[in-house]
Amino acid sequence: MEFLVKYFGLLLSGFITTVEVTMFGVLMGLALGVLLAIGDIYGGRIISTIIRFYVEFFRGSPIIIQLFIFYFTIPDLLHTLIDPFVVGLLVFSLNSAAYQKGYIKGAMEAVYENQMTAALSIGLSKPKAIFYVILPQALRLVIPAWGNEFCSLTKSTSALLVIGVRDFTSAAKTIAGQTYRNLETYTFTAIIYLIWITAVMKISDVLYEKVKIPGIEISA
Amino acid sequence: MARHMGEQKKEAVGTVGRKMTEIIMECRNLSKIYGKVIAVKDVSLKIGEGEIKLIFGPSGSGKSTLLRCLAMLITPTKGDVFLRGKCLTKPGVDLNKARARIGFVFQHIWLFHHLTALGNVELALRRVLKLPKKEARERAMQALREVKMEKWAHHYPAQLSGGQQQRVGIARALARNPDIILLDEPTSALDPELTGEVIDTLRDLAKKGATMLIVSHEMPFAREVADEMIFFDEGAIVETEPPEIFFTNPRSERAKIFMARLIKRTRRE
Repeated sequence: MEFLVKYFGLLLSGFITTVEVTMFGVLMGLALGVLLAIGDIYGGRIISTIIRFYVEFFRGSPIIIQLFIFYFTIPDLLHTLIDPFVVGLLVFSLNSAAYQKGYIKGAMEAVYENQMTAALSIGLSKPKAIFYVILPQALRLVIPAWGNEFCSLTKSTSALLVIGVRDFTSAAKTIAGQTYRNLETYTFTAIIYLIWITAVMKISDVLYEKVKIPGIEISA
Repeated sequence: MARHMGEQKKEAVGTVGRKMTEIIMECRNLSKIYGKVIAVKDVSLKIGEGEIKLIFGPSGSGKSTLLRCLAMLITPTKGDVFLRGKCLTKPGVDLNKARARIGFVFQHIWLFHHLTALGNVELALRRVLKLPKKEARERAMQALREVKMEKWAHHYPAQLSGGQQQRVGIARALARNPDIILLDEPTSALDPELTGEVIDTLRDLAKKGATMLIVSHEMPFAREVADEMIFFDEGAIVETEPPEIFFTNPRSERAKIFMARLIKRTRRE
């Protein structure tokens, strides 16, 4: 496995790219997912139909097609070029938002009804009630699903290979191609993915426990 | 003691004349219709400053719906609601502002699960009345003291008993110094042992002259604090009487039957 030391720089930069895209995707996906969930619940028929189309597109098509559309199709139509890394950030954010909207909306609906009535009864406006009463409870419930989303997105980012972004998988492919040592390279890469994902899931568990409040938990 | 105070209050009103008491809350010809079901039918009532009125009536008769319409938590189908003479059912009224002036206590309590007792009471003071942090905290603690829950200020709802939770619910409603407090069966979701502590809290409030409209079937409490009993059935007011008359000799047949049943049940308990 010494040969991997020689390629340490390449592996590290690939790993960092993977982490960057995943982190960005999950966080932007969260912010966007909250907006989409609120839009879907309160936006009326038209907005909620648009949101449904959006979600179905990102959940219903392969991530590689989504990357191609944002890397080739859209820039072609606009007669421009977009940096593949930026395309990666964009696609994974939009993709994650489509999934996270579902989790967040479900959690909001789980706490919604009586908490909203109580919030209105003390004089809070609806937006304030969402911000101070509904979301703090809903987001706590979403944390475990959030860990899963992180895990699945980390693995999906290996699709970045198809638009030429040097992520962790792409780095491994380059090394395997140059050294012909497929077994060691891919085994090593898989183990690193595994360690990273296990660590993130652990962090998500700790976070869930840390912000957990008696009375707001997912019943086992 | 409370009875004595109640009489004093009535005397005082008598000397200045009934008309001098300001009407805090009023509804005129209020109806709420869900599809074909008429939940509340043409109800008119007035509550003056410092008055306590109790609504009695079988379950499913529309009492909760009436209370929620008065608090504008649901929009009445017909009729008007007034708070200190201001019409709340006109279009363009800032309902959040109006609701901030009305305390509401729910049958199933509905505290905010993610906030401590103190947080529950403080929220409206900070985010509705926009008081500075320190002042909001002091007032919230004061409200918790009034319901004897200051020791539990930092506990979450799930860590409190039902009776304690409801006392926090009352503190949450009263911390803003609302014009009126509407209570929707505040004790009916509680075990009999826990009912007492909540009733004691309400008795204290009554002594302090709070204006309240209460849906409750606690008879001794009603006799003690109510200025007027409202018997409600099938979405409408059947009769209103002073408690001493209502409990001994209700006029309407329906009230007689209901009272007979309630007395029987209470005895069994």
